[in-house]
Amino acid sequence: MLNVAGEPPGDSWGIFAFLCAALCNLPTVPALNGTEELGAGQSIQKTYDLTRYLEHQLRTLAGTYLNYLGPPFNEPDFNPPRLARAERLPSATVDLDLWRGLTDNARLAANYRAYSRLLKYLRGLDSQVGTVELRHRLGHFCSSLQGLVLSIAGVMSSLGYPLPAGPAGPPPSSGTPAAPNDFLKKMDDFWLLKELQTWLWRSAKDFNRLKKKVPPAVVTLRIEARGF
Amino acid sequence: MRTGHPNGTAAAPSPGERPRCRAAPHPAVISPQDPTLLIGSSLTATCTVSADLRLRAQDLYWTLNGRRLPAASYTTLGPTTLSVALARLNGSRQQSGDNLVCHSRDGGILAGSCLYVGLPPEKPVNISCWSKNMKDLTCTWAPGTEGETFLHTNYTLKYKLRWYGRDNTCQEYHTAGPYSCHIPKDLALFTPYEIWVEASNRLGVAVSDVVMLDILDVVTTDPPSDVHVSRVGDLEDQLSVRWSSPPALKDFLFQAKYQIQYRVEDSSEWKVVDDVGNQTSCRLAGLRPGTVYFVQVRCNPFGIYGSKKAGIWSDWSNPTAASTPRSERTAGGCDPKGGEQNTTLRRELKQFFGWVKKHSYGCSNLSIKLYDQWRVWLQKSHKTRNQVGTIWAPSGGKGGWEGGSQPQKEGSRGCPPTCA
Repeated sequence: MLNVAGEPPGDSWGIFAFLCAALCNLPTVPALNGTEELGAGQSIQKTYDLTRYLEHQLRTLAGTYLNYLGPPFNEPDFNPPRLARAERLPSATVDLDLWRGLTDNARLAANYRAYSRLLKYLRGLDSQVGTVELRHRLGHFCSSLQGLVLSIAGVMSSLGYPLPAGPAGPPPSSGTPAAPNDFLKKMDDFWLLKELQTWLWRSAKDFNRLKKKVPPAVVTLRIEARGF
Repeated sequence: MRTGHPNGTAAAPSPGERPRCRAAPHPAVISPQDPTLLIGSSLTATCTVSADLRLRAQDLYWTLNGRRLPAASYTTLGPTTLSVALARLNGSRQQSGDNLVCHSRDGGILAGSCLYVGLPPEKPVNISCWSKNMKDLTCTWAPGTEGETFLHTNYTLKYKLRWYGRDNTCQEYHTAGPYSCHIPKDLALFTPYEIWVEASNRLGVAVSDVVMLDILDVVTTDPPSDVHVSRVGDLEDQLSVRWSSPPALKDFLFQAKYQIQYRVEDSSEWKVVDDVGNQTSCRLAGLRPGTVYFVQVRCNPFGIYGSKKAGIWSDWSNPTAASTPRSERTAGGCDPKGGEQNTTLRRELKQFFGWVKKHSYGCSNLSIKLYDQWRVWLQKSHKTRNQVGTIWAPSGGKGGWEGGSQPQKEGSRGCPPTCA
């Protein structure tokens, strides 16, 4: 729309009239079950977007962290044994049919529990680790991850599901022993990053699936109100 | 990556769950585990494999930071024990320690040990501190020459009042760079402080020299507030700068010293006015007419509580812009940029319009006046950010260039519509 001084606004009214006609001819939007589902659809989208953002953030964080751990940890073909210690971490790996068959509640609860625990492990990382830059990146990632946990909680409550009672298992700092040596601690850190990565890959698919099952929000048209 | 090939028995998976293969809890043991060594020293490490793995010493090999170590440096010490000799070690490749790993023949990792190779820290140097408005103290320092290159070095800043016993430790680090610390409160005036920095790493500790300072000698403050730059009547080479002394120190007896710096809009060279003294206004002279200037002011809390020493200069205030009046002698003031090209273009257009007038029938309204009006409209429309694209739409009807009447209302900033 032009905004030249002295030009008559005739064209603007024409466009407005057309948009009104278009709106009136829209196919009927599927009936919604009240405002809760409307909110849930948007929350699910936001949560999905957040997992993609975290995935992106993790790539940078993991790169920096693994370089700090040094080779072979930062080599692309690094293939360490999955020791018993790594079994403490919530695993994203799951049988395909089992995953497909999860109810919405179970799907969301699994995500909520996993990220709550992973966040606790991340926060428990040695505060003296690495450079100041690495610690800042870690801190920033933890904040974002906390945001994801809260976002998942928001989705669950908007769909009427109860939050899982506390993160499963005892908090990592008290229940399980610290790594017996520095090399095993490096392995722990490696698996933590790996599991975070796998969970974020999986969550994107989880929330994509949820998006399709919850009715979409109303189509919103934004009319640029210039020169009217 | 998810399906590893560990050496161990697989646990029976519960229905629906992915089968998980578990390795034995400690497949091998390395000694020494996570040692700390001086650069240049030698090390012999041993790897002893757990008996139930059914591996022998000749099935093992070593890597250091991912690189396989030559078999010539190996020695078999027993049926399940292999050692490696490392000579004249270099400083650690990363501060988390060099990764010395014992592998089975198929590449699987059996055990690892982190080697910390470096030097003891050097004395930190160049301790320098400043206090903002006498409320806090921030200090920075530099690591000694070798620095903390190979091993992680911890720095602790300590301070105590002279003649008083207690050592205090600074808690807030990295506030002004990686080697800095901030003491936020409980600072005493009139008695000097002794300040030093301790550096420690796995190989030892080093303490800097003690610096003695009085808080009142290292005071800095906020930049001056309310900086106003204005014209001096019609004088085209002068600007008047006014500011207020920083509010935080107004209750303390001190003579401030000020400094002004200014530059022309499209230059990066600052001119500094040094002898401003402690007044809160100044007149800049010798400036170019019709030019935009950026001006900044900063303050030094000189002579706090009668101290004869200078304080520390504050940051510069945010730049304030002002322009000197345009000189009336300059002709063709309508085209501030590319003046010469525009006058040539204008002349050519004048000739063109004259020709068209003579030879056309419909375009009777063409004139150089229209061209000038169009240029003014162009300048105005560049200023309004809402423009997506400018279209000079010819209105319907006869003439081709109907611009409509656009009376110029506020002529103070823009050019007058008709130029000489």
